[in-house]
Amino acid sequence: MPELFPLSPVHYVAAPLLAAFLLPLVAKLSRSFIKILPGLTFLYVLYVSAVLYPQALQAPIIEQIAGWAPPLGINLYYGPMAGLFASLFSALGFIVWLYSLTQMKQEPLDRFYILLMMLVAGATGMVLTGDIFNLFVFMEITAISAYSLTAFLREDDKAEAGFKYILIGSLASAFVLLGIAILYSYTGTLNLADLALNMDKVPLSVRVIVFGLFLVGFGIEAEIFPLNGWAPDAYSAAPAPVSALFAGITVKAALYALARVTILLFPFAGSMALISILGLVTLVISELAALHQKNLFRMLAYSSMGQVGLAIAALGLFTAEGVYAALFAMINHAIVKGMLFLTVFAMAGGSATLDGLNGMGRKKPILSLLFTLGAFAIIGLPPFSGFWSKLSVLTAMGQTGNYAMIAIVLATTIVEAAYFLRATGRLYLSEGNPAEGKTPLSAIAALAVLAAGILWIGFFPGSIDETLTAGAQDLLDTAKYTEGVLKD
Amino acid sequence: MKKLLAAFLLGFIGYYLYTAFAGVPFGENKMEVGKDYLETTVPKTGAVNTVTSIVVNYRGFDTLGEVTVLFLAATGLGAILFGMKGKPEDKHREPSSILTTGAKALFPIIVLLGAYIFIHGHLTPGGGFQGGTIIATGVLILILGIKSFHANHALLSVMESLAGITFVVAGILGLAFGKNFLENILPLGTPGQVLSAGIIPIIYIAVGFKVGAELAGVLDTLMSTTRGEE
Repeated sequence: MPELFPLSPVHYVAAPLLAAFLLPLVAKLSRSFIKILPGLTFLYVLYVSAVLYPQALQAPIIEQIAGWAPPLGINLYYGPMAGLFASLFSALGFIVWLYSLTQMKQEPLDRFYILLMMLVAGATGMVLTGDIFNLFVFMEITAISAYSLTAFLREDDKAEAGFKYILIGSLASAFVLLGIAILYSYTGTLNLADLALNMDKVPLSVRVIVFGLFLVGFGIEAEIFPLNGWAPDAYSAAPAPVSALFAGITVKAALYALARVTILLFPFAGSMALISILGLVTLVISELAALHQKNLFRMLAYSSMGQVGLAIAALGLFTAEGVYAALFAMINHAIVKGMLFLTVFAMAGGSATLDGLNGMGRKKPILSLLFTLGAFAIIGLPPFSGFWSKLSVLTAMGQTGNYAMIAIVLATTIVEAAYFLRATGRLYLSEGNPAEGKTPLSAIAALAVLAAGILWIGFFPGSIDETLTAGAQDLLDTAKYTEGVLKD
Repeated sequence: MKKLLAAFLLGFIGYYLYTAFAGVPFGENKMEVGKDYLETTVPKTGAVNTVTSIVVNYRGFDTLGEVTVLFLAATGLGAILFGMKGKPEDKHREPSSILTTGAKALFPIIVLLGAYIFIHGHLTPGGGFQGGTIIATGVLILILGIKSFHANHALLSVMESLAGITFVVAGILGLAFGKNFLENILPLGTPGQVLSAGIIPIIYIAVGFKVGAELAGVLDTLMSTTRGEE
């Protein structure tokens, strides 16, 4: 029905919302709908991506909600950057759904899928919206789904992790909301583009304070050191499909929010340098912490924070190459880390330790191969996707003359290699107990899609070049953004 | 030492928040968006209550998000407490006959007040969230006053879903009529009448049902967990 319902970016949010409200009803008709409906929803948003994203590469799509032109109403800004992230989130959502079909058995499943859909829809809303308060609302949707999913398995330590997350997350929300309140009371507008034009009404000292509030608020969700104490617990407590989404989606959405807000509203010299330094510190500390982990999920969680640190360090360079490299690193990380979380869970279950990997190379050859692929890609070995993303980060750093940064990144790569190769070695070189159970086909299929992505980007890095360049330009070109939104 | 550090941090944050808020120019007409809202609400949205027109119309997308936040909180609570049994309370006090009788007598009046508030959300102060919360307090009084009382969970869940679907469908209808998501498609009517302001009352009534059903469901879930019942 293309005439009746012209596709627009709001479908990314409206379709999952409708499905989430429908799910409790259709669950009463037949339990099988609980699993089918989320899959259909993710397929639908993927279709929306397939239609809209090529258009966004030509010219950004700006949608006014309820027909009010900004700044009176809320608008969505679907440019190359938002399109890239929305498509990535939808694809990851679909893959995780496919994986959960057989791997997720914990009741109540209807609630699990509602929370899962809303986690993806909330993060997508965060990258789509052009209104700072609306951004806060979507951040809340994402965060509340994330808290509940963290404690979903209902054991004492999981509840503790969930509670820790909710406390720190509430602090993040409060800080962001305070920042928004201060901006609104000085400028009288909430629209991001309109705010960018009115920032001169805010005294510089207040701008620095608000930047600090946003940095802490979004930094907590983006797992920037020292605000990431909640993350290892949450990653290891949550069901593995959810951990994959934390690494692939929630962190990325928060990073996008931080980047968009900083570049639009706080483009002063120190803000970017500060972000870059925080990224490097996060990278070093997380990778060193990962080296000491026996629990595989905690190891992956720390590695995740390290990868995010790498992306942030590149982002803070504030050049076209830097943002390009940051985007590349984020996409690479979303695919690879997602695959690693899902593979480890399929291989060794929810409480996987390093010892649990012993001898898996013979017992579960496909999963072991996938784990090895993911480990190599994260370290940055050629010819996998991680090699190109790390290379672009290093090139960007070299172009701005930050040779110290290059040294730090290379040094942490060695640490990364140490713990990932140790884990890989356990697969093939150690003897272990006989494994039980077969991995269902749908789980293997989900993992295969991600593996194909790693290999595709690895062999044809040029194929995503245009996407990344357009995304980086979209994020840096603030004049185009404000003019586009406020053209009427 | 730890306490000293915490006190220092609090003082630090407090001081800078104070400086930020102290500089806000109060009393000046700096609120550009706010001025537009005040001038255009009645002719453009047909709602006499400006606050409602902002919440449900200008920024209706936020409200849809807030409704979702509440929905997720209730869903998450249900997921975490699923199948959990509290300790049976042996010393559970019987409600006095005054409380029991009072609860039964008050409940219909509370529901009526709640419904009045959300039906007149576009005319008088209050709206879906407020009305829904009032109705949920009525359910709370029933839970306190009648020991064996249980909310009908299936009914609440159906109500919640239908109300949520109404909100989203009201948004999608805007798209279907060639306008924008959540844009008004109904005639505005005479401002001040109950049947005015286009889709605003429809959305607010749906919100009222949804919030009422959700909070009542949350209360009942919590009560049956602490009472040690399934």
